[in-house]
Amino acid sequence: MNGIAQEKIIFTGPVGAGKTSAIAAISDAPPVRTDVACQGGERAIKATTTVAMDYSYIQLDDGRRVHLYGTPGQARFDFMWELLTRNGLGLVLLINNDHPEPLQQLDFYLDAFADFIRETGVVIGVTRMGIADRARLDDYQARLFERGQVYPVFEIDGRRGEDVRILVQALLAVLTI
Amino acid sequence: MDVIEEIFRDQPGGDEQAMTASDEGSRVLRARLEQILDGLREDCSDVVGAIVSGVDGMAWAQRLPAGFDQNRFAAMSSALLALSDNLVKEAGEGSPRKVLIEGEGGNVFLMHAGERLLLTVFTRADSNLGMSLAHANHAVEQIARLVAKCED
Repeated sequence: MNGIAQEKIIFTGPVGAGKTSAIAAISDAPPVRTDVACQGGERAIKATTTVAMDYSYIQLDDGRRVHLYGTPGQARFDFMWELLTRNGLGLVLLINNDHPEPLQQLDFYLDAFADFIRETGVVIGVTRMGIADRARLDDYQARLFERGQVYPVFEIDGRRGEDVRILVQALLAVLTI
Repeated sequence: MDVIEEIFRDQPGGDEQAMTASDEGSRVLRARLEQILDGLREDCSDVVGAIVSGVDGMAWAQRLPAGFDQNRFAAMSSALLALSDNLVKEAGEGSPRKVLIEGEGGNVFLMHAGERLLLTVFTRADSNLGMSLAHANHAVEQIARLVAKCED
């Protein structure tokens, strides 16, 4: 008997990029969240962090239900990266432009998820571009070009449902190519 | 902000090493926690290892068998416990208490130890479940008392 195929999209990216917020912004139902208080040095960056996953789902215009999973950002949770991406449709990579080295973050996550991206696809959403001027869209596109990975990059406000929807729709479009 | 930027510049995954006992307070706390774990292993021969970690996935103190990476276990324990908490709450079964995992080669208990910490205990496969749990509970009480004292 075949299992029921689940369509799922995974959100990943560094701590503070806005994965949890993005999933909450776009979801129809309140997401499952596993936020806990940050301790130690991380406290200065953020009050809370995701330690397992965010989960929710959306209904597309054509009626399909797509499940959304958000990964923790820290590399110590990379076992969750592997678990969550299994049988996924594709990846939404959020990068926080307010980070000191956003392009380095881009490299790190594209490398970390290289196998999954190769099998499926990725779109990149850059958050907090209005707040910080570390890198511009051109810089992200240039870096992707250098890597030989030309994927869509958008500047978004991760708290706005419409922006996050654009990312999801762009990913679905990328996947059909 | 400079110090924090330094941390992030070095570790693109935004990760930090296990809590460094860089100040005397942390060192003492870690030593006390290790004493509690030593006591646990001495009192209960079924326990082969244990680790105290933060709910955020960082290792605080450990007495683990050789070859066990405390950082990985700290992260996995926090993920498991957080998800389990969600499940229990969603099922309307009140506050979560502990997670018991039965494996072929041994068992694992995960439990909250106060608000910020958790205790993960590894026992032999043929362990006396009730007894191991009782000892683990005792360790949790000691940890919670210790932390409460530190926070005064």
